Amino acid sequence: MKKILSLLIISALYSCKQDFLEVSPKGNLSEAQVQADPEKLVTAAYSSLGNDHYDIPWSLWPYGDVRSGDAYKGGRDEADIQEFYFLEIFKNVRSDIGNFDGQWFQYYVALGRANAALGNLNKLPDSQFKTQRQAEMRFLRGHWYFQLKIMFKYIPYIDENVPTNEYEKISNRALSNDELWEKIAQDFQFAKENLPPAQTEIGRPNKFAATAYLAKTRLYQAYEQDDKHNVTNINTTRLNEVVTLADQVLGSSYGLESDFANNFMLNTENGIESIFAVQHSKDDGSSFGRLNFGDVLGTPQGIGCCDFHKPSQNLANAFKTGTDGLPQFNDYNAADLDLAANTVDPRLNHTVALPGHPWKYDVNNLYQASWNRTPDVYGLYASLKENVQKGQYIQVGPFYANAKNKIIIRYADVLLWKAEALIELGRHNEAVSLINDIRTRAKNSINLLKLGNGNPESNFNVDTYKPGINCNWTQDFARQALRFERRLEFAMEGSRFFDLVRWGIADTYLNSYFAGEKGKRKYLKDGVFTKNRDEYLPIPLNQIRFSHGLYVQNPGYLQ
Amino acid sequence: MRRLLFIIPLLLAVLGVSAQERRITGKVTEKGSGVPVIGASVVVQETKKSTATDANGAFTISAENGQTIKVAYLGFESAIYKVSAGQSTINISLKESASNLNEVVVTGYQQERKKDLTGAVSVVEVAELKKVPNNNPIQALQGRVPGMVVYTDGSPSGSNTNVLIRGLSSINGAGNVPLLVIDGVPTKGGMHELNPNDIESIQVLKDASATSIYGSRASAGVIIITTKRAKNGEFQITANARNSYSFYQTRLKMLDAEGYGRAVWQASANDGAPIDSYMTINPDPANKVYVYNFDWAQNGNGYVLNKISLPQYIDPIQKTMRTANTDWFNEISQVGKYQTYDVMVARGTDKGSTVFSLDYTDNDGIVKTTNFRRISARVNTDYKLLNGRLSVGENFTANTTREIEGNTLNAALQALPIIPVHTVDGAGWGGPWGGMNDRQNPVRLLEDNKQNHYNYLRLLGNAFADLEIIKGLRLRTSLGLDYGNYTRRDMQLAYVSGYLNNSDNQVTMNNSNSTKLIWTNTLNYKRTLGKHNFDVIAGSEIFKQNDINFFGRSQGFASEDPNYMYLGAATVLKENGGGAYETRLESYFGKFNYIYNDKYLASATLRYDGSSVFGKNNQFGFFPAFSLGWRLVNENFIKDNFEFVSNLKLRYGWGQTGSQDPIQGYANRTLYQTNYGGGDPTWRVPDGTAYDLSGKGSGALLSGYQLIQRSNDDVKWETTTQSNIGLDFGFLRDNLYGSLDYFVKKTTDMLIKPGYIGVIGEGGYRWLNTSSLENNGLEFLLGYKGKIGSQVNFDISGNIASYRNKITKLPQEVINTYGGNGSTDNILGRSIGSGYGYVADGLFTTQDEVLKSAEQNGKGLGRIRYKDLNGDGRINEKDQTWILNPTPDFAYGLNFNFDYKGFNLTMFFQGVGNQDINVYDVKSQTDFWSINETGSNKGVRLLDAWTPANPGSSIPALTVTDGNFERRFSTYFVENGAYMKLRNVQLGYTFPKSIASKIKASNLSVYVSGQNLFTLKSKSFTGIDPEAAGFGYPIPTMVTTGLKVGF
Repeated sequence: MKKILSLLIISALYSCKQDFLEVSPKGNLSEAQVQADPEKLVTAAYSSLGNDHYDIPWSLWPYGDVRSGDAYKGGRDEADIQEFYFLEIFKNVRSDIGNFDGQWFQYYVALGRANAALGNLNKLPDSQFKTQRQAEMRFLRGHWYFQLKIMFKYIPYIDENVPTNEYEKISNRALSNDELWEKIAQDFQFAKENLPPAQTEIGRPNKFAATAYLAKTRLYQAYEQDDKHNVTNINTTRLNEVVTLADQVLGSSYGLESDFANNFMLNTENGIESIFAVQHSKDDGSSFGRLNFGDVLGTPQGIGCCDFHKPSQNLANAFKTGTDGLPQFNDYNAADLDLAANTVDPRLNHTVALPGHPWKYDVNNLYQASWNRTPDVYGLYASLKENVQKGQYIQVGPFYANAKNKIIIRYADVLLWKAEALIELGRHNEAVSLINDIRTRAKNSINLLKLGNGNPESNFNVDTYKPGINCNWTQDFARQALRFERRLEFAMEGSRFFDLVRWGIADTYLNSYFAGEKGKRKYLKDGVFTKNRDEYLPIPLNQIRFSHGLYVQNPGYLQ
Repeated sequence: MRRLLFIIPLLLAVLGVSAQERRITGKVTEKGSGVPVIGASVVVQETKKSTATDANGAFTISAENGQTIKVAYLGFESAIYKVSAGQSTINISLKESASNLNEVVVTGYQQERKKDLTGAVSVVEVAELKKVPNNNPIQALQGRVPGMVVYTDGSPSGSNTNVLIRGLSSINGAGNVPLLVIDGVPTKGGMHELNPNDIESIQVLKDASATSIYGSRASAGVIIITTKRAKNGEFQITANARNSYSFYQTRLKMLDAEGYGRAVWQASANDGAPIDSYMTINPDPANKVYVYNFDWAQNGNGYVLNKISLPQYIDPIQKTMRTANTDWFNEISQVGKYQTYDVMVARGTDKGSTVFSLDYTDNDGIVKTTNFRRISARVNTDYKLLNGRLSVGENFTANTTREIEGNTLNAALQALPIIPVHTVDGAGWGGPWGGMNDRQNPVRLLEDNKQNHYNYLRLLGNAFADLEIIKGLRLRTSLGLDYGNYTRRDMQLAYVSGYLNNSDNQVTMNNSNSTKLIWTNTLNYKRTLGKHNFDVIAGSEIFKQNDINFFGRSQGFASEDPNYMYLGAATVLKENGGGAYETRLESYFGKFNYIYNDKYLASATLRYDGSSVFGKNNQFGFFPAFSLGWRLVNENFIKDNFEFVSNLKLRYGWGQTGSQDPIQGYANRTLYQTNYGGGDPTWRVPDGTAYDLSGKGSGALLSGYQLIQRSNDDVKWETTTQSNIGLDFGFLRDNLYGSLDYFVKKTTDMLIKPGYIGVIGEGGYRWLNTSSLENNGLEFLLGYKGKIGSQVNFDISGNIASYRNKITKLPQEVINTYGGNGSTDNILGRSIGSGYGYVADGLFTTQDEVLKSAEQNGKGLGRIRYKDLNGDGRINEKDQTWILNPTPDFAYGLNFNFDYKGFNLTMFFQGVGNQDINVYDVKSQTDFWSINETGSNKGVRLLDAWTPANPGSSIPALTVTDGNFERRFSTYFVENGAYMKLRNVQLGYTFPKSIASKIKASNLSVYVSGQNLFTLKSKSFTGIDPEAAGFGYPIPTMVTTGLKVGF
């Protein structure tokens, strides 16, 4: 009996033990552990640069290239990721399309990491380390807000000082268009002031990266828009800032790669032209590598999958040159590219895979018509810049990815921003040499463009602008030259549509594109750009709902 | 526990034998028929000596004059016989017991007589259950218990089985899983791992007055399962063998090679641009070859397709794949074969009892290569010591299961019919080529997966000691264990299947194990004082769960021999990982039952539970309950005036229970983690924390932390409050019997980790107590036992239940969680799971209709017209409303049982009344070309889609892209899922004892049965099986034969 009672007592005592219910989580970290080491939050914030996906691509290929007429969506047919097809023809673009919401959310995931790092860095005692890391994080924050801004225009702006429970009280219209640009500029300004000219770890931005991004921000900010996205004024103060900032970068040790190709090959990553790039890696201890998964769909079917992001005929035609070695501004699209008859800019062969030509400079692997998935729908071209040589892919499931870096800002960009600012400031004569630097480099970039027998891949003929000799360099002409040059230089790099919107010409440009291209691609027959709507994406319906109606939809959207 | 071990040997010493006895022989027969009763227990009350009757109903036992012999047999009233001088032979006839009300049922930590129950408790007819061949006995409960719905599929293991008792009680799946208490050990593990033949009884506790003794985990109801123990005097060997063949009930009709071509051509023609060809297989501009070539013409009515021609090979250069017309469903299907064998030995004496059982089950599913195998063993023993005052024992079962999964139904639907299964050499795999969709050959998926399976070892049981301290006062301690060890190896073989190929073979191995320990101590006092009857229990319980898991993956194997492909044999170790989980519960409880004069019943329950998952502020929850009962049948005014009433009891109960199961983790913490690689990016956005800051391109990376959860110190138990009023009745000696229950069940503070506004970024999740939910419903059970003539006995019973469900509180934090427009038009007052969407208002059939209708992106002829609900002339997200209510009108079961001599015929029907079901998964692929899985094969219904030449069709015109946004959730995808199924029909025959005894058997029976032989469903239902409207493993039709023998 006694023994039994003691059994009861023992059991009662055991279960009453104060800490019986105190169980620590396994394999997780507490807030205190994290706060003690904000450097880890900094690293995680960088990691977001590689956390994109083929339907949420940081390269923005569906948004920057497909929407600009430089690229067809590609894939099996229109219905293969048809949301991107709707973007391609600017029809049925709805606020409840999940891809937009996903893109929006991923930006705020990245921003959340930068803000978390900043919030914890701010608590550290002052030191050079602290300021530098703060500057890096503000650079990243500026980068993410910049991307969000060009996609959605009006966005809720949140920094590290806003407590989480206040987040949903901030409207996407709390700040005006210009105030948003100013916020973004402030981050880059801080970064510019506090980052060293060079970083030991090349993945971190330095002073020049911040200066360049600030120049880019000021350039976009200069083109003032009204509520309906009409460009109402070009702000000369901002343009002058662009010139000053660009000069600071152009005066650094950065420069143009001797060969255009070096910007787009694995073995020449982080070269002289790469001012800021996303660092991808493989064999890095992760299961699949920290690969460029955002661009994975651009791999041709002949290599594996999935043959999206296909250069348009219109883009290929733009690389044709006249006998003077200059682009054919007005009639480039009058006839389709014929390599036997036309001379071309070498950047064509760096940008567009052409049947029968070496794939990524590899004469042993010719890109063939059979590599195309649905040539009747999307033609025979493929995109080269984000791709690598055949043996350099890593298969993940059905996809073929690569570990090549993705450049966010390169020196050529800075040259052309400065040229653009000068032209809009009426100082177009100062711009000619900048554009010519780009053209000269293009002209010299033919060493890798050879067939197996050593002959050049195509008939290359590129020359510089020689005012008074081969052109009449007026402001209008210079503007046309600048805009054409940007297209050729940055084709398929995800920026073209945003250029068109900045310049305020998206509607006229794209509607004329559709008029010509629909004769070549049946599925474009319904394409039409609606001014004062299609310049920006709709604010995702999901976010409007979570904001309890605080967020305001962009103009013009039916749903 | 150690103390207990000291006690046992002391008690084992008690043994005793007495003298002066003589042999008495006798025979036990059934009263009336005179048939011998086999296995009846014969006990001398004074000496506790016991034996059992043999195959002839005969027994021999030693007794003295004046001692009492008691003969008992289940289902009969016990007989008592006093041994008189000189008598050596006695014949006893047993009378069948009129009622099962004296049956003892196991409720929370106690046993009660069925007639004394005051809660809503359903006692399941286990014998009926066993007539249905299911691995998982829970599946067989479908339709048996009013208010209980079983959701399942047809997978060979039966593991995918979910039970809902009295409707959804939580928004969380985990909060709706009833607690299983197996021999006193609470678990939420799968029943398919255990041997169904071990089950002696099943009780379903539905209302809170019955369940609240289980407190913290009982919100969704409790199913109490007791396994077999041998009765005193029993010595039996029983064996069962069963064989079933299973078949598809019905199959989705898919397009063939020609039909697919027709559909794709029609889609392009409808869009005004008919194609000449489809699917380039050789894109060389000079030498183009297509799979489909169309010969079409234009006439007054539009475009007409004359002829489709297909090439001889779908890879015309390589010529390895001949153009086929493959029926992929046929290719992946087989006749399933399900066999199960079990044997049980039971022996009971007054010193204790032993049950030993073995089971072997092997089930090949109707999808090729899928298989489930189980071997299980059980030993239940107990020893009676201290003259029966102490019993110690255990219930223990060890089970190994092994399953080859592989449901490729959806893949079979999507694969193109022009692709051959194999290449022309018969060895290689067929696969997509050229512009075909990138879906895998479903046969290859199955074949390459057939060596991949899991092995699961589950040990479940408890050891107990039960001591009667003084008469009526019992102390019981029980230590329970539920242990699972899961190992799995997945070999991914290199393959070439059309353009799909993978040259890297790979192996992933997983191991996880889970240990759950439950220690329960109870003190129970029962006492009868005149007309007063008390039963009091107090106890404590602690629960501890520890899980640990790890996995490894490696690549590059020199051989694909299954004996070779282990992690260590690879050339590249790719990845490993692992984690652990721990949770604890601490509980105290008590219950008081009181009965006065067999008429008035009352009980009260208290339970106090603490859980490690909650914040300090609210770690413990308190769950009270009470119930009252009134046995009207024992009142004189009933007895005197209504003689036909044999049972009448009114019950009322109220109680609360809690739930913490939704929280898998630790709600009270802000949690960060490292996430080096960010996971497999194939189908999800990676969220890694490592980055190549050095720019080296390879090598170890720096890694950081990510936030995964925000804390909430106030998070507390989700609480369900339930009241129940019930009436049990029996008339005409209980030949007509039944019960009626009405309940109101309200869940408050529902635990949820809601979605949140995007600007918060990652890790914005946190556990909150939010909305409230209310269910109320009626349950009715009615049965009649009767005779036709003198030979045919029958028993017909039916049950029907209906409930309504609504959200009664909806805080702002979760206003977006349940659908609706995120503000005023929300789910408040509606059923949980209600669907919000557009109203499809038929098709546009004339240009005039198109012009006159509201502005709608992509409208056109043959397209779905949506209703402009807000009348603003524009179709947009504001034109949505509530279009789906998932709560069925009612659910029912109907059982017929006829006995004629040795024959037994059973029919069991089960059904569900009108219910809205979402058929998007299937209908989006049978009625549309381009809204889901574009480029894949489609259902044959497409050939009847709307065209100007087929204006009567209600299926939207085929189109190349979904410009009209028809994939939006609309009434087009809501159908009536009412059905009635003939679940089981069985004819059995029990051989006369005279024949059975020729093979030395005490009984012998055979049966043949069929399951799911037919289904009635709503005429408007377009899918296959309203019970499983998606692509789950199909529920088969089965034919079963079986043999039972007992010795």
